[in-house]
Amino acid sequence: MSQIEQKIIRKAAAGDRLAFRELVLEHSHAMFRLAWRLTSDESAAEDIVQEAFIKAWRKIGNFRMESSFRSWLHRITVNTAMDYLRRQARRKQFETTEPEFESVQMGTVSPAVDTQIDIREQTEAVMMNLSETERSALLLKHFEGHSIKEIAQIMEMTTGACKQTIFRAVKKMRIALRPLVTA
Amino acid sequence: MRNITDDDLTLLFYGEHDDPALAATVAESAELSARFDALSAELRLADHFVPPHRGDDYGAEVWRRISPRVADERTASPGRVRTWLASFSQPRFSLAGALSFALVAVLAFTLGRNGGQEGITEPLNPVNGAAVALAGIDPNRLLAHSVSGHLEQVNLVLTQFVNTTETSPGEAEYATDMLVANRLYRQAAAAQGKHKLAAFLADLEPLLIELAYEAQSGSTATRERMQQEVRNGLLFRVRVMNKQLDKPQISV
Repeated sequence: MSQIEQKIIRKAAAGDRLAFRELVLEHSHAMFRLAWRLTSDESAAEDIVQEAFIKAWRKIGNFRMESSFRSWLHRITVNTAMDYLRRQARRKQFETTEPEFESVQMGTVSPAVDTQIDIREQTEAVMMNLSETERSALLLKHFEGHSIKEIAQIMEMTTGACKQTIFRAVKKMRIALRPLVTA
Repeated sequence: MRNITDDDLTLLFYGEHDDPALAATVAESAELSARFDALSAELRLADHFVPPHRGDDYGAEVWRRISPRVADERTASPGRVRTWLASFSQPRFSLAGALSFALVAVLAFTLGRNGGQEGITEPLNPVNGAAVALAGIDPNRLLAHSVSGHLEQVNLVLTQFVNTTETSPGEAEYATDMLVANRLYRQAAAAQGKHKLAAFLADLEPLLIELAYEAQSGSTATRERMQQEVRNGLLFRVRVMNKQLDKPQISV
């Protein structure tokens, strides 16, 4: 964390709204990308980003400079997204009368017509079929480049459990995506 | 040699394996290399999981949406009655910050003008050093960004000014700081050829001067006249200009 960022964080923690605005401008895009990858829903991701920043504003006085501010924000974003996904799951439970079948099941991705495989959609479906924990851990590793130790802190689990979660996610993803590689 | 699992290869792919010799071991073995390549190809497919694009102004948009709630959170503490003076004790503005922003803007502009001149071999003084550190910064965006922050403060101050009847010594001091910052930004805007912005900042100055030197000592009538002036359009203009600054496509 740069000295400038530390200074801005200190000012924001002291109640300086403009300093906090700087942090919002700096981190909004990355938080949106993370929130979208966690939910695969554009408007939900936007809501999550806003909610996460409000939470960050409330808690910024508790932030300790020893850890990375980015990791701290990611932790809030992941928790906010998890809350959103759980609410969605509960709502679905009440709303759904017929059993739901996912359009793409693990290990059943088919190459379809050779030249018309929509890799993006298939990848998205595979990601969304991972459990929330597996998806979060994998995204934080693969896209955000956090170390396993950082991910463990963000997700409040042990390093060992975090590793195993990533391994599980990778295995599931590989099985599901293999047909696309060989196609 | 111990058995190398796919989990080992996953850690190697992500640069997290404890054993520094593992990469060499994999490279030396055709079988391990093939397994590692297959794993890499499959994991790289995840790169297709691309979020929808958000424009450059997305951060500003997020701020616009959350700022009312951010403001509420700060005022939601017990004892909401705040005087004009108490509001100044909030560390929301500092002259040093404004000065440094303005300095950066001016430096960036200077840098922009001097950019491309080769053969300059003068030793660096601290100011030149700062200028060098700014290489690559778009002076227009930097100025717009800095003035936007300044106008947000002006907006806050004016909003509070029109809604209070009391005055305090802190009010004058605060307005003086803002006046100094406003002048620096005006000069930076003029130097960059942002004449509309410079003219707007120039329009703000008389009011800031009054706030700095007359509001405290002036009569109630003076204060009311100034409040009327702010309500009659200045506050609106500050907000409009601030919005325009957040949209780089609108020329200021």
